[in-house]
Amino acid sequence: MINNQEPKTTKERVLEEIKSSQIKMRPKFYFVLKTVLLAVGFFAAGALVLFLISFISFHLRASGIWYLPGFGLHGWGIYFRLMPWFLILAGLILILILEILAKRFSFVWRRPIIYSLLAIILIAIIGGFIIERTPFHPGLFSKARQGKLPFAGSAYREFGMPRFHDVQRGVVEEVIENGFKIRTFDDQLLTVVLAEETQFPFGKEIEEGDTIVVMGEREDDTVRAFGVREIDDQFRMFERLPRRPMH
Amino acid sequence: MRDEISRQKVKDEEIALLIQSGKIEFFDILLERYEEKIRRYSRKFLSDHEDINDVLQDIFIKTYKNIRSFDVKRKFSPWLYRIAHNELINALKKKKKNPLPLFDLDVFLPHHLSDNNDLGEQIERREMAELIDKCLGKLEPKYREPVILYYLEELSYKDIAEVMRVPISTVGIRIKRAKEIMRTICKKLGYL
Repeated sequence: MINNQEPKTTKERVLEEIKSSQIKMRPKFYFVLKTVLLAVGFFAAGALVLFLISFISFHLRASGIWYLPGFGLHGWGIYFRLMPWFLILAGLILILILEILAKRFSFVWRRPIIYSLLAIILIAIIGGFIIERTPFHPGLFSKARQGKLPFAGSAYREFGMPRFHDVQRGVVEEVIENGFKIRTFDDQLLTVVLAEETQFPFGKEIEEGDTIVVMGEREDDTVRAFGVREIDDQFRMFERLPRRPMH
Repeated sequence: MRDEISRQKVKDEEIALLIQSGKIEFFDILLERYEEKIRRYSRKFLSDHEDINDVLQDIFIKTYKNIRSFDVKRKFSPWLYRIAHNELINALKKKKKNPLPLFDLDVFLPHHLSDNNDLGEQIERREMAELIDKCLGKLEPKYREPVILYYLEELSYKDIAEVMRVPISTVGIRIKRAKEIMRTICKKLGYL
C-alpha cells in the first residue's frame, strides 16, 4: 500500500499539538514562583556563606590559630597545618553556587564574571568578619557548652574548643618562676615553661588574668613554649562559665 | 483578523501579548515568521535533517509553553533565539559534540568594546556573510554562534548578548577573534 500522505511540516506538528491541548501554556504564576524560589535560594546560600565564614573566623580566634603568624615562619607553618580546610572548601563551594545562582539575574550576566565573583567574595568576607565580631557565635558556643544547642552543638564544641598538640589558649592563673600556669577553655591546668628562645612578639608583660596563646610542644600538662602572646578578651564571656565540679 | 495581523506586519511583541492573553490562534504567525530563520540557525550546528526538525519542534513547543514569561516590553527575537540556543546546546550535548565551554576567560574578564555600527562595518558584514557559508564549519561553537547571529541573522551585539547570556564586550571580542580565525581559514581554503 502506498502512503500518499505528505509528511507534516514542523509548523503543522507544533500547531497540531497546541490545538489538541497536548501542550499547555505555563501560567504567569509559575514563572513568578520560579523567580521567587531563585531569590530565596540565592539569599539562603548567601546567609549560609556568611555564617560559614564568620564561623571559620570564630574558630580561628577561639582556638588561637589566628594569632600564629605573629610567631614567624614556624607560626605560619602551624597556621596552615591547622586551618579548617574542610570548612574553607565548603565555603568556596557555596561561593561558587552563589555565583551560579547570581548568573541567572540579568544585571549579573551582563557584566564579566570577575566583577560578580569579586563582589560576592568581598561581601562574604567583610560580612563574615562583621558577624564574627558580634556576640552571635560566642552566644551559640555558650549554649552548645551547656547542651542547649541540639542543632550544630557538636560542631560548636568541636570547633570552638579544639584540642591541638602545639597551640594552647587560656587564661593565666599564676605567674611562676620559669613561666605560667594557664587554665584552658576546656578546664585543663597547664604549665607553660619559658626558655631563652621563647618569642614574645607583643611584649613580655603578661600578668595573672591575661588571655594568652602559647605555641609549643606539649608533654602531659607541660608546654615548652616556642612563642607566647597576649590576645584580646573577646572570648572571655565563655571562659567565665561555671566550671564543672572537680572529682 | 489573523490574516490582517499577519499582513500588517504587526510587531512580534504585540502578537506575543495576544497569545499571552489566550488568543493562541496567533501563534502560527510567529511560527511563520521564525521557522525558516531558526531552521537556518540550527543548520549551522546540526547536520542531520531529522535532528534539525526535532530540535525545531522542541524550540517552538518550548516557546509556546513559556510565552507568559516573555516580557513584551523587550524584543521578542533575542528571547526566541535564547530558547533555540539552549535547545541546540542540549542537542549537541546528547551527541557529545563539543558544546560551549563551561569556563571561558572571554566571559570572566572585562574587554574593551569598539563601535560596530559604522558604514565600514556594514559593508564588511555583507562580505563576511558570503564567506561564512564557506568557512564556518571550521570554527569552534563559541565563535560560530555570535558570527551566525551577527552576520546571518543580523542581530545586534546587545541582542546576541541576550541570547548567549554573556556581556556585550564578550560578544564583541568573540566576533573580532572569529573574523581573524575565519580569514585564516578562508585563505587556507583558497577563498581569499
